Amino acid sequence: MSTTVKALTRERSFALEAEKLLLGEGDEFHGEAILAVTKALLQAGVSYVGGYPGAPVSHLMDVLADARKTVLEPYGIHFEQSASEAGAAAMLGASINYPLRGAVTWKSIVGTNVASDALSNLSSAGVRGGAVIVIGEDYGEGASVIQERTHATAMKSSMPLIDPRYDMPTIVDLTEHAFELSEASNLPVLLSLRIRACHMTGSFKCRENQPAMRKRQNAPMEANYDYSKIVLPPSTYAQEKAKIEQRLPAARDYIKANGLNETFPGKGGRLGIIMQGGTHGVVLRSLARLGHADAFGNSDIALHVLNVIHPLVPEQITEFLADKDSVLIIEEGHPAFIEEQIRSIVQQAEMTCAIYGKNVIPSSGEYITPVVRAGIATYLNAVGDKTVAGKTKRLNNAIEKRVKTAAKSKPAQALPPRPPSFCTGCPERPIFTALKLIMRDRGPLHVSMDIGCSTFATLPPFNIGNTVLGYGLSLASSGAIAGSLDQPAIAVMGDGAFWHNGLTTGAINAQWQGMDAVLVILENGYASATGQQHVPSTGATPIGEPIQITIEQTLRGIGVKQIRYVDSYDVKDVRKALEEALDARGKGLRVIMSANECMLAKKRRGNAVKAKALKAGTPVRNARYGVDAEVCTGDHSCIRMNGCPSLTLKPTTDPLKDGPTAYVDDNCAACNLCGENAHAAQLCPSFYKARGIVNPSALQRWMTGVNAKMLKWIGAS
Amino acid sequence: MSAKTPICVQIAALGGQGGGVLAEWMAEAAHASGYPAQVTSIPGVAQRTGATTYYFEMFPDKNTVEKPVFCLFPDADGLDLMIAMEPMEAARALDLGLITERTTVLTAKSRIYSTAEKSVAGDGAFDTDTLFEALEGAARAVISLDMEDLTAKPGAPGNAVMFGAIAASGVLPFLDEDYHQAIRIKGVAVEPSLVDFASGLNHDQTPKETVSANDNMNLDPAPAALVKEIDGLPEGFRALAGHICSRLIDYQDEGYARSFLERMQPFVGASPELVAEIARRLGAWMTYEDVIRVAQLKTRPGRLARIRGEIGVDQDAPLSVIEFLKPGRDEFASLLPPAFGRKIMSGHDPSSTAGLRLKLPTTTVFGYGALKLLSKLRGWRPRTYRFELEQTAIDQWLGAVERALEVELDLAFRTAELAVMARGYGGVRSRGLEKLNILFRDWSRKLDDDHSALSAEVSTLLHQARHDPDRDCGKTD
Repeated sequence: MSTTVKALTRERSFALEAEKLLLGEGDEFHGEAILAVTKALLQAGVSYVGGYPGAPVSHLMDVLADARKTVLEPYGIHFEQSASEAGAAAMLGASINYPLRGAVTWKSIVGTNVASDALSNLSSAGVRGGAVIVIGEDYGEGASVIQERTHATAMKSSMPLIDPRYDMPTIVDLTEHAFELSEASNLPVLLSLRIRACHMTGSFKCRENQPAMRKRQNAPMEANYDYSKIVLPPSTYAQEKAKIEQRLPAARDYIKANGLNETFPGKGGRLGIIMQGGTHGVVLRSLARLGHADAFGNSDIALHVLNVIHPLVPEQITEFLADKDSVLIIEEGHPAFIEEQIRSIVQQAEMTCAIYGKNVIPSSGEYITPVVRAGIATYLNAVGDKTVAGKTKRLNNAIEKRVKTAAKSKPAQALPPRPPSFCTGCPERPIFTALKLIMRDRGPLHVSMDIGCSTFATLPPFNIGNTVLGYGLSLASSGAIAGSLDQPAIAVMGDGAFWHNGLTTGAINAQWQGMDAVLVILENGYASATGQQHVPSTGATPIGEPIQITIEQTLRGIGVKQIRYVDSYDVKDVRKALEEALDARGKGLRVIMSANECMLAKKRRGNAVKAKALKAGTPVRNARYGVDAEVCTGDHSCIRMNGCPSLTLKPTTDPLKDGPTAYVDDNCAACNLCGENAHAAQLCPSFYKARGIVNPSALQRWMTGVNAKMLKWIGAS
Repeated sequence: MSAKTPICVQIAALGGQGGGVLAEWMAEAAHASGYPAQVTSIPGVAQRTGATTYYFEMFPDKNTVEKPVFCLFPDADGLDLMIAMEPMEAARALDLGLITERTTVLTAKSRIYSTAEKSVAGDGAFDTDTLFEALEGAARAVISLDMEDLTAKPGAPGNAVMFGAIAASGVLPFLDEDYHQAIRIKGVAVEPSLVDFASGLNHDQTPKETVSANDNMNLDPAPAALVKEIDGLPEGFRALAGHICSRLIDYQDEGYARSFLERMQPFVGASPELVAEIARRLGAWMTYEDVIRVAQLKTRPGRLARIRGEIGVDQDAPLSVIEFLKPGRDEFASLLPPAFGRKIMSGHDPSSTAGLRLKLPTTTVFGYGALKLLSKLRGWRPRTYRFELEQTAIDQWLGAVERALEVELDLAFRTAELAVMARGYGGVRSRGLEKLNILFRDWSRKLDDDHSALSAEVSTLLHQARHDPDRDCGKTD
């Protein structure tokens, strides 16, 4: 069986946001920082924008993808939703030979890792037009990736890294400066925003948007050949030399000349704090709570704010430290590159300044206010004079005391965690129900997981999945282990993962090498985890025009024969398909595909239609599952097989019941998994599916009446 | 230097609860009325049910000359207002040290259980009283809202109600007009939101008692026929006994109810807790759910009307209800006389998941009629194979409890609790019964030989039944 191409489109519009991008000279922009950065790109006159969606920067692309008519075409901007971060970084190649400004975006560190090959080559060749990479630093609370920082990449490839102070006008100015800085130093520039910064709201005075180069100049450009831009010896040697001798110095000069880093002298004194721009707010709040600053950022203690954390400008550091006995360095993450560089700057300048940093603030974890406040308090207690130390101690102790008092009434029992999970009615969930059932009969299976919604199968109630190695890498990561296991290994990937990397690294390689593997592809139509962005097999382009690219055609094209479609909600069939694939050990690549659409997107579309029909008074189908509380014995094995948010508990009023009974709430999407499980897992008969029609037609009412009479006759009501 | 500090507000919600819109309303209210403010969020990924956090700061003076420096994170002891669309998320903030004597807590009253709580066999739900006591102990004030009552449209997110409650709390300096303005500017579901805002604004904010699960048990009155016998029981036991007797009459007949009272006889003198525990378990076991009982419950008058309510279709609108049944050899045999039943089941695993995958429409004369007929077999039940099996198992268990009681009260109590293993259907149940059978075989001897070893065994079984019920459902152990 094979599916016809679906032409899906998100039922979401970013028209309102797009309007803000058109604000003119002097208008006040009010909104989210990531949108402000998008506006800044237009003010800088970008010729092209690309990237790969990922929280927290997806919004930048979502808005532009929706604004073709209003923004992209009028300003002559080329827009791509790149195939991967590597593809996005490669787009910046346009700025190597030509004076075109361009920007790309992705989630870091993972996206930067994927892009790093192109980034190395780009920064080695050097750029003529400003090339800016807007990265969403997915670090700390709410992060969905490994905890590493982008700083190391910036340093090894000599890319300036901007970590702006979180003040809207500052963020916008620095975004525009990023292009100038890139052109002044011929280096691509990274602009890093943390998760909360991307989503913070604020205002700034707009500047006029600049049209793209191709709009500005009349004649199209002529192709430019320049061997010095090619990354082959001897050019590469010259390029490395240029980085050290021209580009980085030029970057430092630009940073100094344009005051990108900021110094706040405070009330002088012999203490000081040097911080990453992104930590400015936390530092000021901490100082305020310790009595050394007011709510408006006026600090008694001298501050040096590094809005550019790479490269550092030694003169600025030595100048700031000239009259200091000690300094505290606030640098989030590990390794402590800034602290180590400052130590060497101080040593080379033969200064005597005690340097505090990771010795008073932890090397790991997000720099939230309690952490930074504690660190600053330790520093001020250690180096401050009587009054400074005294005040610090008094106020900090008062805070800690109130926290301790409150902590006394904390529940003794640990709070149940609430990790994200599959949405109500998710088409991916039943696949893992089937896998759980199979494992009960056949014992544990090695399942290599991928990046995307399906990763949540590794959490309760499924606890399925042994490794996650990266986007599109699930199949590749099962190759070496499969042969050593008592049962075949299974690799799971979503359609997003398949197109990002899974096709080449996984499917093609497995097919080419005759690898013995079971690959489960969950094709829900979108990159759902990041907000239903389109993928090549969605059936529509990034900007919503229909196009036909299917995973099945692609797999057949590379010679995969064993492709089996399943309706993921049919647990019995999914189980059968999986077991057949497992039993076909040694028979090459077996692919099982589910093509059920992401329930969030499906519902969003359905609800719109429903609402219209209800208004119009035309018939609307309502369906949901239910549980007969009287029948439920409170064993909850249905929940352990399912995990759907809408399948929950209801306190019982029957003293004979052992605890709360299962209950299906109003969000039920009637996806049928509960019913399927009642059969497939031999659960209890408490479940029922109810379907009804609101605003029925006259005929439907009449037939209902007849049926009702007959039912009444045998005692039903 | 100005001594004033920003007002700090954290909003905790679950994906899909409208926390984002609530945060934006607050930002709009501040923006529209000239207060400097900033909001940020950790919306999480697109998935629902994960915890999502929004953080809002505003300065208490309008249109300040200097711009306040806002922070993206709350400090410990740093919240003036904690808003939780789900109370466990408020407790989480307390756990992080964010809630102290300076914090007013606004929280929805009803829980949305986490997977961890839902998965436990039996009652794994975190105790609501404990949760609210913790908050009340730590915070300046705790105001809990009954969203179900306060939202005009059933199933509405409740964020507008919460917005109204924020206005009522008076922690923020806005005028009611600013709040209305914010809802209009944001333009999301304006009219319904204004209605819910009003009910949140005007609701009675005096902290109410939260009802915990065990306070509201419904006990059916004792059946007339057995009033005399029941009055003869210890005072504290009568209500429960009455409830169980009327349940047993509904399940089978008066004679069956009397047999319950007889079975309780040896215990009525024991501690009230033990008596109640045994009675509850015995009542539950004696009303074991066989095909006949399920058919009876699924054809209860009024059930279809209840379901119409659930999906919001009125009496004369089409309704179809599908039951998911999977009768196997076991269910068939359970209806036959013992001799035949034994024959049919001999050499067959009662926990086999093989069976007829029935999707029975109880909204058709055929489907409903079929179940109605099955339910009529009630009178035949005492002659069935299954009935014999269950009664033997029950008496075996009661015998074990009685013997245990001679040795140690606590052991007797836990032995009584063991009846939990006779829970569930199909495989789950038959495996449980098999385990009990093995445990209770020569129970007396084990009890005399080494009752502490036996006691340990009982505890292990109980723990597994509650916390790891799937452990032996296959090769996974």
